[in-house]
Amino acid sequence: MAFASDFLFYKELNLIGGYSRKNGWVGKTQELSNSAGFEHYAKFSSDYGDYLTTDLQVRGAYDANQRFSDAVSCEIHNAWAEYRVNNGLKIKGGHFEPAFGLEQVIDAHSTILQTLVMEDIGYTKDWGVELRGSLSGFDYWVALQLGSGMSIRRIDSSYLVSARVGTPAGREFQYGISALCGNVLDTEGMSTFPKNHLLSDKVILKERIGFDCLYNWNSFVLKGETAFGVNDNSNVIGYLVETDYTPPRAQNWEFETQFQSFVNDLGSSRTDNSTLSVGLSYKLSQAITLRAAFMHDLNQYHQERDTEFLVQFYYYGK
Amino acid sequence: MENKTQTVILAIFVAVSILSFGCGAAFAAVGCELNDPDRDIQKIFPQSTGYKTSYFTIQEAGGEKLKKEVEEKLKDVFDPLYESLDVPYSYYTILKGKDVIGYVHGVNQKGIYGAIQIILATDPEGKIIAFYYQKISSPEASKFRYKSFTDKFIGLTLADFYHSDNPAGKVADIKDPSEKNHGDFKATIRGTKKNLILLDTFILKGGKSI
Repeated sequence: MAFASDFLFYKELNLIGGYSRKNGWVGKTQELSNSAGFEHYAKFSSDYGDYLTTDLQVRGAYDANQRFSDAVSCEIHNAWAEYRVNNGLKIKGGHFEPAFGLEQVIDAHSTILQTLVMEDIGYTKDWGVELRGSLSGFDYWVALQLGSGMSIRRIDSSYLVSARVGTPAGREFQYGISALCGNVLDTEGMSTFPKNHLLSDKVILKERIGFDCLYNWNSFVLKGETAFGVNDNSNVIGYLVETDYTPPRAQNWEFETQFQSFVNDLGSSRTDNSTLSVGLSYKLSQAITLRAAFMHDLNQYHQERDTEFLVQFYYYGK
Repeated sequence: MENKTQTVILAIFVAVSILSFGCGAAFAAVGCELNDPDRDIQKIFPQSTGYKTSYFTIQEAGGEKLKKEVEEKLKDVFDPLYESLDVPYSYYTILKGKDVIGYVHGVNQKGIYGAIQIILATDPEGKIIAFYYQKISSPEASKFRYKSFTDKFIGLTLADFYHSDNPAGKVADIKDPSEKNHGDFKATIRGTKKNLILLDTFILKGGKSI
């Protein structure tokens, strides 16, 4: 058929800004910058069916607070190819989420409110390979990655192994158990080219075991995750709870409340990063979403607490 | 040297990204894909050996004119949030070897409490052989998911939905399983009809007059 397609192509525009008590006017978050980009998602088939899926999602980002030479960057978010070995087994290679936590279940790629992954691992995606399989009642993921995050680099024997076992996608109540272990590089920023800022050339030994769940209940989506483990010699624990609500009579709107806390050293007091967030989003159309979020730090380990108000214009479409 | 190369690559990329906003891309909002196609298809078609995924939009297939035709057949207008012209619909052509043994396809439908995702599996002629909700936000969701209700759709065709007003017809025979959420029942009937109309439009190419 002339109008059938085996790929999807989207354009993306993200405009974000707001006010931070600590930093004044801001134009980005840890994960989001003012950016323009695209996503190309494709299926490859033979006469016998699909055998390969690819996804490339790239953003060109601009940070107005930097000198022009440092202000522009290329962020490669998704860049993977997944080969379907058979009905129950797939092999993926490229840049994708580690097999850990809520990030595997929800798409927080464009949202202001994020999961625990930045606290747990330090980045949302990494370069490597993944085996994904299905058994009768659950799915499993095992990933081996570089431990470097957005940029491709390997220093000080960095690596990350992660695994998750969870209920199949799309159930009203989904949950999963995850584990990870690795020598992870500590980086700052989402840039792939030029390489993002390396905070230390020494890796951090990270080990975690985690539990995540998501429950679609009437007009609510309830999300939760927790993870316990070590960062080098410190025992750490993190948890997140979030409630999203879509009013039945105004389905363009969504209200979100989230509390997340990450304790950096269980052996000492007041070592947590704890933030309470309230978000509001309005779908102007299928392609355009307006968001606002208020985020208040209850505590920040080794840092000044902050209170931020952000607004976002997000376009993902034609 | 490396920095220079990176700067050039970056400049080209940013230029392409910005310029691409003036081009006509094929798709916009996220459509109703199967969350778990391998598992779902195997369950409905245990004899299948594979499936092919294709994407369609009303925009690409006929634009505003086609939208009007579909609305006429549906006897209702499209919801701008859930049913924009450029929303891609995913169609799974189910194969046994190289032979087509059926189709699986889903639609988003506005319900009382949020999106309802209605998935149909049909034989190659468009007769329903399986019906299920991939998502339904309703206090009585479990009643809508009862097999005794979803099985009522098995065997129905688009022709049955075109005659849904007939009190003696097969569609009129399907009773609302809920007590207080008749709106979600009506949305289910509308979504199923829309699903079959789009299958006919995109795949079966029936184009039969109503």
